[in-house]
Amino acid sequence: MESSAKGGIHWDAVASREVMVAALRHDAFATAVVIALIVIAMQVASYFTPDYIMPPPAKVLAALWQTLTHDYFSVFVTLARLFAAVAFSMLLGTALGVLMGTVDWLRPFLRSAVVIDSGIPALSWILLAVFWFKNSEIRIFFILVVILVPFYSLNVYDGIRALSKEWLEMFESFRPSRMQLLRMLILPHIVPYILLTTKSVIGYATRMVVFAELIAAAVGIGARMGLAQAVFKIDEVLAWTVLLVVLNVMLQLVITLVERRLLRWRAEAAVR
Amino acid sequence: MTAQTANEIVLDKVSVRFSGHVAVECLSFRVIRGEIVALVGRTGAGKSTVMNLIMGTLAPHRGTVRVSGLDPYFQFKELRGKLAVSFQTDRLLPWRTTAENCALGLEILGHPKSKSVERARHWLSRVKMADAADKYPHELSGGMRQRASLARALAVDPKIILLDESFSQLDHVTSQTLRREFSELVRSLGKTCIFVTHRIDDAIEMADTILVVGTPANLVLTTHPTEKHRTDASLAAELHTAIAVAMGDIPDNAIPDDSKV
Repeated sequence: MESSAKGGIHWDAVASREVMVAALRHDAFATAVVIALIVIAMQVASYFTPDYIMPPPAKVLAALWQTLTHDYFSVFVTLARLFAAVAFSMLLGTALGVLMGTVDWLRPFLRSAVVIDSGIPALSWILLAVFWFKNSEIRIFFILVVILVPFYSLNVYDGIRALSKEWLEMFESFRPSRMQLLRMLILPHIVPYILLTTKSVIGYATRMVVFAELIAAAVGIGARMGLAQAVFKIDEVLAWTVLLVVLNVMLQLVITLVERRLLRWRAEAAVR
Repeated sequence: MTAQTANEIVLDKVSVRFSGHVAVECLSFRVIRGEIVALVGRTGAGKSTVMNLIMGTLAPHRGTVRVSGLDPYFQFKELRGKLAVSFQTDRLLPWRTTAENCALGLEILGHPKSKSVERARHWLSRVKMADAADKYPHELSGGMRQRASLARALAVDPKIILLDESFSQLDHVTSQTLRREFSELVRSLGKTCIFVTHRIDDAIEMADTILVVGTPANLVLTTHPTEKHRTDASLAAELHTAIAVAMGDIPDNAIPDDSKV
């Protein structure tokens, strides 16, 4: 394949797409092999252990089907909680990050608050939320927001710090207002940082929402998993686990699609 | 037209210091309306500092700067739309198409986006970039990007255009073509233009007046190249030598007396 530069990074869009497709095929094959190995290992383990330790994959699959056909409300509730909390954290975190990056006197106060927040273990927030809030929805929302906001605010702040001085100088030569600076330069510039943060935290947020539901709610995947574990239905626990993995992959895919749409202006780079 | 209004840009005994380092030393010059002026000096002479003074992003420590009769630093917003800059690098925003980049200044001036883009397309066609209007910056060559940057400056229809080494990163042929086209366009539009360069040939080719600054920036030579200098190679060479000596690129004693201007 001919490329526009020999070695290193080349910017040929066609070449990079081909490289990407080849990499995806390779990834899909590797994933299929890993899944097959896990299924084989589960099957073998199920021969030597009782069902409440390791049920056979067929039983997990049946439980998964049961879950999808009869308990989709729990999935919906968990996804709704996740979506609401991630969306709010994105807005709040971005606002804090922008303030940190643009208001000099406010920066040290906000940065200290965010750094302290990010140092508090998730478990502490979960336990505190159980005491502080009666309503389980508020509990879970609060837990997720306090955990996710520092990721957004620190990354957005970093994004603003990385804003090219040359762009700023060019922009200021037209004598814009502060709002124009924010709307036309800063916000478009930090979009990749927001998307990257979302991509990084979505898996963590999914785990946290399930964990929070386990402790602080009666509805949702986490609560259902807790219930299944209490009655030794390990096939159901594994079915929920499989579902969570699939959900996480799907969420990543959705974010990647959004990213492709919003960042279509970016040149694809392929490194050889 | 009174003498005062004819003076579009006035620097009067301007000095700038950066933590003890003198960047501009008692610099004075005037640029009249419609004039194309080259500010020539060695790298590090403080030429870009002079541009920043005119742009209004820097205040002088001593002296006064006036652009269209206004103090560009303290009356920053009042020069909105009257002054535009094209920089050494194109500084196109990667998330905007070429037309949207060119429309940026117009949007900042409060024009609706659709009208701004329409006007930007007109200016892109003036700089022979009509076909690239919907492309993103990463899809353009260096010359095309610089053309887009010039169109962005022209699109706001400013009275004054500042070029900060806008052609210096292009190859010789592209740079020469672009310089020629740009100076023709600016003359036909009657704009006042100051361009910073360290290339003497660029200055002789484009400018009505060449201001040569030493290091730190203080005026060491003012010269007015004519059409003869542009067409007669020996006259151009003489002027080139005189400017190079004034800049400090060639020691004065290295030039034979009969070659001095």
